[in-house]
Amino acid sequence: MQFLGRERPELKLSFLLCALFLALILAYPLFSILRLAFIGEQGFTLSYITDALTRDSFYTAFLNSFKVSALVALLATAIGFFAAYGLSFCAFKNKTRSLIEVVLLLPLFLPSITYGFAVIYSFGRQGLITRAIGQLPFSIYGFAGLVIAGVIYTLPPAFMIMQNSFAYVDRNFVTVSKVMGDGLLRQFYQTALRPTLGSLVSAFILAFFLNFTDFGIPTSIAGRYDVIATRLYATMMGAVPDFNNGSVIALSMLIPSIISVVILRRCSRLNFRYNKISKEPPAPNRLRDTCFGTFYALLSLLLIGVFAIIFIVPFVKSWPYQAYFTLDTIRRVFAENDIAGTYINSLGVAAASALCGTALCYLAGMVNARSKLPGWCKALMDIFAMVTNIVPGMVLGVGFLFAFSGTALANTFAILVLANVVHFFTTPYLMAQQAFSKMNAGFETTAALMGDTWFQTLRRVVIPNSFGTILQMFSYLFVNSMVTISAIVFLVGAYTQVTTSKIKELQYFEKFDAIFTLSVLIFITNVAVKLLIDGYGAYQRHRQNHSAK
Amino acid sequence: MLELVNLKKAFGSHVVLDDISLTVPTGEIVSILGPSGCGKTTLLNVILGLTELTSGKIIYDGVDLSSVPMKKRGFNIVFQDFALFPNLNAYDNIVYGLRNNKNASTPAEVNDLIDLLNLREHLSKRIDELSGGQKQRVAIARTLVMKPKVLLLDEPLSALDGLIKESIKERIKTIARQFNLTTIIVTHDPEEALSLSDRVLILNNGKVAQYAEPKTIIHAPESSFIKDFILKQLMIKRDNIFRLFDSTMPAVPAMSYMQTAAASA
Ligand SMILES: Nc1ncnc2c1ncn2[C@@H]1O[C@H](COP(=O)(O)OP(=O)(O)OP(=O)(O)O)[C@@H](O)[C@H]1O
Ligand SMILES: [Mg+2]
Repeated sequence: MQFLGRERPELKLSFLLCALFLALILAYPLFSILRLAFIGEQGFTLSYITDALTRDSFYTAFLNSFKVSALVALLATAIGFFAAYGLSFCAFKNKTRSLIEVVLLLPLFLPSITYGFAVIYSFGRQGLITRAIGQLPFSIYGFAGLVIAGVIYTLPPAFMIMQNSFAYVDRNFVTVSKVMGDGLLRQFYQTALRPTLGSLVSAFILAFFLNFTDFGIPTSIAGRYDVIATRLYATMMGAVPDFNNGSVIALSMLIPSIISVVILRRCSRLNFRYNKISKEPPAPNRLRDTCFGTFYALLSLLLIGVFAIIFIVPFVKSWPYQAYFTLDTIRRVFAENDIAGTYINSLGVAAASALCGTALCYLAGMVNARSKLPGWCKALMDIFAMVTNIVPGMVLGVGFLFAFSGTALANTFAILVLANVVHFFTTPYLMAQQAFSKMNAGFETTAALMGDTWFQTLRRVVIPNSFGTILQMFSYLFVNSMVTISAIVFLVGAYTQVTTSKIKELQYFEKFDAIFTLSVLIFITNVAVKLLIDGYGAYQRHRQNHSAK
Repeated sequence: MLELVNLKKAFGSHVVLDDISLTVPTGEIVSILGPSGCGKTTLLNVILGLTELTSGKIIYDGVDLSSVPMKKRGFNIVFQDFALFPNLNAYDNIVYGLRNNKNASTPAEVNDLIDLLNLREHLSKRIDELSGGQKQRVAIARTLVMKPKVLLLDEPLSALDGLIKESIKERIKTIARQFNLTTIIVTHDPEEALSLSDRVLILNNGKVAQYAEPKTIIHAPESSFIKDFILKQLMIKRDNIFRLFDSTMPAVPAMSYMQTAAASA
């Protein structure tokens, strides 16, 4: 290991471990896709590409995805912007504020495939919302449904980006702008729009990307409206699978992702950051506060209106005709379908993914931010993080299918865990890396001089001082593994069903009561895990603060 | 006795330390002084064993330590930002090293150290409840518990203000005398260096500009660099202070000094 320079063997080993592991589960699957797209029986060929490009169905699906995603991104960004703006500039009570945040972030705890069904049920002929506002002039299947569900799906991340951005906007700017005699529009531009422009672009791009590559929503609500995600699935898993064509479609999905990343890098420069977070609350303003209050009420009503159905259907006799409370439905659902087994599978996969993912991201973050390994080693970790960020779940799933079918990994829980670990690598890796770069640079040297081995320092100093981050990483990975479908839909076997893939299967039999029961289980689990982990983190901090006394 | 023989350190083609040779008698305080980027921290890290030498030797009491790893050299360092562990309180930081080596210090010795550094009432505080000077003392105590052969301090005073600075300076002197501890201190403040140490090593561009006792440096500076950058600063400081306390004192000496320095440069 001489080529890794002078560094502790443990860190060199961590590097080799991370690099080999990520090469195996990221580089190799991607390579497998390329091989199927470009290598035919007579060696290198472009015929699969040209073949795919001459099919009208491909263009239709690609364009449809593009249209839907652009509209979704526009709406989600606009709503997210005003939602964050209101929270930042209106004089609400803290309780109201947190309540709005919770409602807006609620969708994060449910799989996207559920949104589709929820929208069908709410906007469909007998839906809660249809009853309230009357029959819609269009079919909910297809374009309209995709847009509505897509907005719900991408609103939380768009809102989070905007809220984070507004946290750094100095409210004193409003005063300055007023004093300078700016008109209302100009004031709005100067104090809200311009400072968050970079984040607006980021939010748009992210929402577009998420929606373009999502599989759950189209599979539930697209109907006969062809989008790229359903096209890819049909090509790969249909009656006559065409792997070469599938790999070309998968590659085409990478195009918007790559463009997204390039734009995101650019627009981080558009942001300007004030270095302090403004603390003093905004002054009350009747008109403004009422307007935004109404806006939030409507938004919450819409979100809750859509999601309420998920929690109603399992607990009534038969929606909508026999809408009285009973536990019969849920009992029947549990008896008829292997709900408990699937749920336990999901729990296991999510917990294992969270554990392995946290460990991997932690090590990779350490290699990057706390080692004296050569620059290329650190850069390699960043490159892995960037690539996992670019590769959509579906593409990863296809790659895994090509790379590992026929191996001992196929149809195991392990392959699901591995797929989740790569799929969600970027965010926890960045969390770890940030925590490590904030940590005092002298810890390891100091502890080593006190006679610590590397592991002792890790256990006594490094882990205790990044414990909050570890919990957040774990919680992120767990929740995302619970709700994901795009990668694993290609990888689940008969004995390795998880809740989201089971939902997809139940769709064929139109067992919506079972679908919603599973969704409720996922939701409750995620909320419980999140609360538990946040609570435990708070308890640990509290204990640390007080044990010292 | 610590001997540095023809030390050289280069990062790639960038030579940071060039042919440094000197001897530090046991129990002495040596300050390393020089402008930013001249290689002070690098020299300290090289002695500690954190940074690998390009060539040359580090010898302690006749034993060549050049290829002995950091942990086995028996030297210790207090970093500029102290690197105290925030998950442990002051006391647990001080006795951290005893977890690995129970016999490094006896309980009585630890107690003495705590009193010497005036830390008794702060032992159960969290790190972020300590002031800068208290953190400094905890970090020094933590290091001394290990009984290092050589104590290295990187800019120990730069994070502290006025009065605390003076008291820490006195403490460092007391400790060096009491434990007969060879102490090497990095600083970029000439006043600090000359008033604190037995010998001063002035570095410029990675080379030794002068290595001598403070008196010698003041009265027989070996180069125009020392006159221009080190003594000039001190003169200005002195004159400012004189002027503050006694307005009759003319500011002439520094001016004339600067003129001669300029003429000789
Ligand atoms: N790991 C490294 N790789 C490459 N160059 C380095 C490295 N560490 C230090 N240098 C270079 O060596 C030179 C000396 O750095 P050093 O930190 O020793 O200076 P210093 O005298 O301590 O400065 P300061 O007073 O600002 O702390 C600088 O030019 C620096 O850029
Ligand atoms: Mg330095």
